[in-house]
Amino acid sequence: MSTPLVFDTAALHRQRERHAAGLMEDSFLLDEIHTRLVDRLDDIKRRFPRVLDVGARHGRLARTLAARDPDTVVVSADPAQALTRHAPAPRAVSALELLPFADHAFDAVISAGSLHLVNDLPGALVQMRRALVPDGLLLVAFPGGDTLVELRRAFTMAEAELTGGASPRVAPFVDVRDLGGLLQRAGFALPVVDVDRLTLTYGHPLALLADLRRAGEANVLAERSRRGLRRDVLMAMAERYLADDVDARGRINVTVDLLFATAWAPDASQPQPKRRGSGTVNLARAMGVDPAILEGGRPDDEADRGGDGDGDGGKGGGGDGSG
Amino acid sequence: MTEPPTDDATATSTPDDGGDAIDPRLLELLVCPLTKQVLRYDRGRGELVSEAAGLAYPVRDGIPIMLVEEARTLGEDEAIPDELKADPEP
Repeated sequence: MSTPLVFDTAALHRQRERHAAGLMEDSFLLDEIHTRLVDRLDDIKRRFPRVLDVGARHGRLARTLAARDPDTVVVSADPAQALTRHAPAPRAVSALELLPFADHAFDAVISAGSLHLVNDLPGALVQMRRALVPDGLLLVAFPGGDTLVELRRAFTMAEAELTGGASPRVAPFVDVRDLGGLLQRAGFALPVVDVDRLTLTYGHPLALLADLRRAGEANVLAERSRRGLRRDVLMAMAERYLADDVDARGRINVTVDLLFATAWAPDASQPQPKRRGSGTVNLARAMGVDPAILEGGRPDDEADRGGDGDGDGGKGGGGDGSG
Repeated sequence: MTEPPTDDATATSTPDDGGDAIDPRLLELLVCPLTKQVLRYDRGRGELVSEAAGLAYPVRDGIPIMLVEEARTLGEDEAIPDELKADPEP
C-alpha cells in the first residue's frame, strides 16, 4: 500500500451508483467513443465469439455487438449494480482494476470510456491480457492527453488567487505517448495507439461541470479537498475560463483527447522481430546506397540535416534508436 | 423466488432473466478477483465462495457482485469442506 492512490475507488463506486441514470444517457461524447470503437472493430477481419466489456455501464456495446453477430457472447462488467442490472446477460458487477475472470476466458476485451478512472492502469492492462486467449484482441478507448486542459488551468489559477494554493480538481490523464509503452510493459504485442482530438463547446463553465457530474465524472481524486468547492473559487474559475478559452461566439472550448488502443495477447503466430544479427543482406545494398557511406562514418551532408529534416530525424531516433 | 426486482420497472431488457440463477455461461468464467482462484457456487445462500480469500461474494437477482467491499468474510465456523483442504505436510 506504499503507492499513493490517485482515485478514491469507493467514492468512484458510490458516485457511479448514484449517477446511474446520467451514465445511461446517450451523450455526444459516449456516442463518439462507441461509434469509433465499433468502426475499429469492424476493420479487424476476424470473429470474436467471447467478448468482455470492462466498464460496460448498461451494456450498450453488448447490444450493438449482439445485433451484428448473434453468436457473440458479450460479458458486461461494471462497478455499479444500478447500471449492470440494465445490461443484457451475461453480466457481472466488477471493479475496473480487479477483474474476476479466469485466464484465457475471452477472445476480445473491450472498454469504452472507463479506463481513465483506474488507479493502476498497467495492472488493469495486465489483468485484461491474462483474461485473453493467445492472439486475443484488446480494444480500448478513453479520454486522455489534454482532456479538460482549459478547466484544469482555470481552476488552478482561480484557486491560487483566492486561497494561495491549489487542490486537485481535474484528474490526471494518460498521455498518448505513454500508452504504447504501458501496453508493451503489460505484455501485449503489436500495440497501436492513436488519438482523436475533439473540441466541444459549452455556453458556460458551470454547464460543463453539471454535465460532467451527471455523467458520473465528478471529482473522485483521493487527494481532493474534503471541504468541497468554495463558491468564490467556482465563480473565479468560471470568470477565468470565460476570459481565456472562448470561441468567436463566446462559448467556452473544451478539449477532449480520445485515446484509442488496439493490442494483442502474444502468440507465436504473430509477426516476430528477427533475432539481432540474423540478417544476411547488407543494408546498404538493400537500400541501393554505396556501402562506403554506412561504413565510413558521416557523409558530408551533415549540415543539411539541421534544417527541415530535423523533425523527422528526431522522431525516428527517439523512438527506436536507443534500444 | 423468480419475481423480478420490484424496485426497478425498466429492467426488462433481458429475455433470459432467470430469477436468481447465475447465467451458466458466466459461471465457468468467474474467479475470485483477489486470488484468481476458482469459486464455489453456494446456491442455497446465493453466494460465490472464495476459500482462498476467505470471502463470499453475493449474487443478487442473478448478478454476481464481485466487489471485495461487498463480500462477506467467511466465519471461523464455516469449515472448508474436507475435499478442498490441502493435504497437511508429512
